[in-house]
Amino acid sequence: MIKKVVYILLAMILIASCKQGTDKSESLDLDDSELVQGDLEVSGEVMQDIIQSVSSPVEMAALVKGLGVQFSGKYLASTDKVDELTTSFQKAFNLGIYGADLGYLNMYNKTANVIDYISAIKTLADGIRVGQFFDFTTLKRLAQQSQNLDSLMYLSVHSYNQMDQYLRDNNRSSLSALMVIGVWVEGLYLATQVAKEAPHPDLAERIGEQKIILEKLILIVKNFSKDKQFAKLLDELNKINDLYKDIEIIIIPGEPEPKEENGMLVFVQNEKSIVKITDEQLKSIISTTEDVRTRLINL
Amino acid sequence: MKKLIFSILSISLVAFYSHVQAQDISQVVAQCAAATDAVYLKDYVVNLDASTPGGAPNQARFALMLSKNTKYRLSVCPAPNSEGEPILQLYDMNVMVGSTFIEATGKDFHMFDFNCQKSAIYHIFISFKEGKAGEAVGVLSFVKRL
Repeated sequence: MIKKVVYILLAMILIASCKQGTDKSESLDLDDSELVQGDLEVSGEVMQDIIQSVSSPVEMAALVKGLGVQFSGKYLASTDKVDELTTSFQKAFNLGIYGADLGYLNMYNKTANVIDYISAIKTLADGIRVGQFFDFTTLKRLAQQSQNLDSLMYLSVHSYNQMDQYLRDNNRSSLSALMVIGVWVEGLYLATQVAKEAPHPDLAERIGEQKIILEKLILIVKNFSKDKQFAKLLDELNKINDLYKDIEIIIIPGEPEPKEENGMLVFVQNEKSIVKITDEQLKSIISTTEDVRTRLINL
Repeated sequence: MKKLIFSILSISLVAFYSHVQAQDISQVVAQCAAATDAVYLKDYVVNLDASTPGGAPNQARFALMLSKNTKYRLSVCPAPNSEGEPILQLYDMNVMVGSTFIEATGKDFHMFDFNCQKSAIYHIFISFKEGKAGEAVGVLSFVKRL
């Protein structure tokens, strides 16, 4: 009797753990040890802060749409070669790239193209054992029905946030960092490509202000640069960073002011930042970002 | 053998409870995000113990990059079992630039908008009134370009 109870309980635990995990056949190739951690120069807390502070995958797309720019599929990364991404490094980085692309598609309600991207994301997420946070079935259903687009957007972004959080909580910060860097690179690529074709002062400013986050991302990448792929990533990011060195961000002081607008509490910030970026600097960033992004998605 | 059964049962119960709890908080995040009527960007889940008497209230801190010329919405929702009432505050360095609780009037808001004019890294702090224990979710959403 006791033996039977033990067997039943063991079976229950086994079933539960299988449900929480992912397709084992897809995670067999995982080798996180290839991402050498070494002696970290930046503390875990600082690293968490930096990774956490990177903008959401939809924010750059929201800005672009807010400027009245039309959707263009040519800004998207191709999902054709997703099966050729074999290392954890490639999977995590491209997960960020496709996450940003999915945000762009969702922002413009391009549900027909969404399925390719959610399929690619699912493959990569399973590959680094975070597929359990990506509800592929529901996302696919929402995309196919072209209804509940808010839910599609919410679920996509929330799944991405959960994957990132899980990686950080489980001491896999190198992969989490790669995901957010992928998002950042694709966001900058989108902004620079749009700026090239439809220049706008807001876009130039948004591109210029990336100086703030890029400096911090480089700190993280340096942490893992004993790994060959991270060393290459550092080299590529430094090419962009070099162009940001002369860009200035000026702060004009001011006090925040609370007020009520249509029953909503609103805090108006009177302190302002002004990004000083010349046309030449912008041109160099546009062209270098394009080259760097192409090399990184094929790294 | 009894010890083994007891251990397995305990592990199963803990695993089951964690799973249910994770589901609950996910629902709170979804409801809180839906109530903002804006584009969901990020969420911040907190679960804090009660503060020690006379000590500073426990609080959770999160870093976030905000961009100028953007209207963001920040909201906070308690979990159904939360003892304390949550407060969400937004800081730029040491200056508070937004809060769901206005100390001068004692008025509570479930959310507030922040008209961002300075691109920088900000910090969200979530705590519970009177230093009580509690569980809550903060949500950052995008409203529009200013």
